[in-house]
Amino acid sequence: MHNIIWSIVVAIGSLMALAYYAFVVVPARLHRLHCEGVRAFARLIELRSGGRYGQAEPLRTLALAVAQRLGLPTREQRLLELAVYLRDIGMVAIPYHTLNKSTPLTEAERALLARHPEISASIVEQIPGLRQVAPLVHLHHVVYQEQPNAPLSAHLLSALEDWLRLAREHSSDLATSILRQGVGTRYHPQVVAAILEEVHQQGLYGRDLARSAALWL
Amino acid sequence: MGLASAVLLAWAGVPLVQQHQLGAFAAIVALATAAELLLVRYPLRPEYPDRGVWLSVSTPVVIATALTYGWQFGVWLDAIISLIAGLVMTQLKGTRPRWAFINTAQSILSAAAAGYTAALLHPPYLSMLSLRSGGALVAGLAIYLLVNTVLVSITISIAESTRLGWVLKQTISSVPRDVALMVPISFLVALMLQLQGVVGLLGVLVPYLALRQAFVIWARQQALYHQTIRSLGFLVQRAHPYTGGHLQRVAQWARRVAERLGLPPERCELVYEAALLHDLGKTVLDERILNKPARLTPEEWEHVKKHPQLGAEILSDTPFLSQIVPWIALHHERPDGKGYPFGLNSDQIPLEARLIAVVDAFDAMIGGEAPNQKRLHRRPLSIEEAIAELERGAGTQFDAQVVDVFKQIVHEWQRQREQHTSKASK
Repeated sequence: MHNIIWSIVVAIGSLMALAYYAFVVVPARLHRLHCEGVRAFARLIELRSGGRYGQAEPLRTLALAVAQRLGLPTREQRLLELAVYLRDIGMVAIPYHTLNKSTPLTEAERALLARHPEISASIVEQIPGLRQVAPLVHLHHVVYQEQPNAPLSAHLLSALEDWLRLAREHSSDLATSILRQGVGTRYHPQVVAAILEEVHQQGLYGRDLARSAALWL
Repeated sequence: MGLASAVLLAWAGVPLVQQHQLGAFAAIVALATAAELLLVRYPLRPEYPDRGVWLSVSTPVVIATALTYGWQFGVWLDAIISLIAGLVMTQLKGTRPRWAFINTAQSILSAAAAGYTAALLHPPYLSMLSLRSGGALVAGLAIYLLVNTVLVSITISIAESTRLGWVLKQTISSVPRDVALMVPISFLVALMLQLQGVVGLLGVLVPYLALRQAFVIWARQQALYHQTIRSLGFLVQRAHPYTGGHLQRVAQWARRVAERLGLPPERCELVYEAALLHDLGKTVLDERILNKPARLTPEEWEHVKKHPQLGAEILSDTPFLSQIVPWIALHHERPDGKGYPFGLNSDQIPLEARLIAVVDAFDAMIGGEAPNQKRLHRRPLSIEEAIAELERGAGTQFDAQVVDVFKQIVHEWQRQREQHTSKASK
């Protein structure tokens, strides 16, 4: 009898190990590989635009931290991470001189640039293994007033990318105040609150990011 | 193979299922069939995303049955479920009946080898709860998977006319892992059979789904790897007005040359991928310069010359492609040291980079790169002219050894094409 109980315990134990391996370990590893693969896309746009667009690492780290703060499920966090790498891939279709222009953009050029989420999404759509990221990529510059019901992760990307860009080009104080001004109109209130908390906690608040290399390394 | 399996089946004879075992046997057949039908496709090559090996996970049930009731039972069980699965596959997935037949024969042979060994180590109708039975179980699973993998690999290498070594290398490495994953399930099934717990067999379905999930994810991992490469290739194509086939053709020629040069199989695959992506850096460049029909100014030319390094930089953060990075960075170097970006000497340039340079130049010369585009300084050459051009540059612009091998391959291809057209015209 002891033998039977002992064997059943061993069997159940190894089955649980198998299940853990199949449902936890392997998917996590697959996701890492996914990210390593799509990182090339972000790098491509970064090189094409002289670092102006496509930068992924700072956005990725902050976006994941904020997503955890908002309590997004693991699945959405993974989609978010992939979207960070894929969001600007549509810029391969935007003329080189527009991306690298040192003078202000014309109205037409700005309109063209504003279409990049759409182009990115249509490129991502064509990669079977990444199709599920396309909607989020399409919405990564979503405006709260226009689409308040868009997924929280889309609002997160939209607000966080603006914050990072403003902080890099001007100062984090300005970035923070612009995010605050946009609450309820351009940005999702819950998302802005979480971003500002995170930024505050990481000590990026009130610091001049343009001169601080800590975040970018 | 079909004959051998028929003989084996006859030798095994129809095992007598006793009345009290009927229920259990029916349950096993149902369970094994369900497992066999939970198929996962595992793609082998990037250019054929829809082709590949089908994996299924009925093996643990077969081995457990062989251990409990005798090897003949295992063989018959596997024959029955393979036939059912074959039928379903031909009906639903459009698989050719030939494959279903081959698959059944393979299963019978593997099950016989495995079941026989397992039964030798551990005669049926003994208690499952001993070290000896555990050993028999592991041995049975290992032998089944080994025999099956070898048979499947032989079939694939014949069907796709690829080298057996390459296929085996892709398939056999996963055998130990699969054995480890299947042992607990097989053990549980055997235990349930021993305890006559037919209902308990239903509980086995849960770990089955877990196992299948693992298979699904491995298959996806492989598919993903191929997709990354194909989608990057797609971006290269739209960055520069290549005609549809240029990159694919260069990649296929490059792989063939690599094979002929005797590179190891997995390296030949990497050469294929590197050749597909060798111009990745052009996606970063100014398209007005790339598409300019006239001669480039020196500054514009400097801009274009950055593309090998840019391509390498795009892939630098992607560890699973790290091997091909130097080949992409150096595909415009020349053996005489007059290439760019570094002006390296022949022995400093990897063979793969020299190889890609030759194949790429050839396809560009015969007009494969942009036949619809009139370039002022370029006119498409005939194949003979292009080969002559490669020979003229052998040792200076192109690697002599690669040119030599490539020439043979092109001539063989021409001969084949002539035979083909003459057959077609008859």
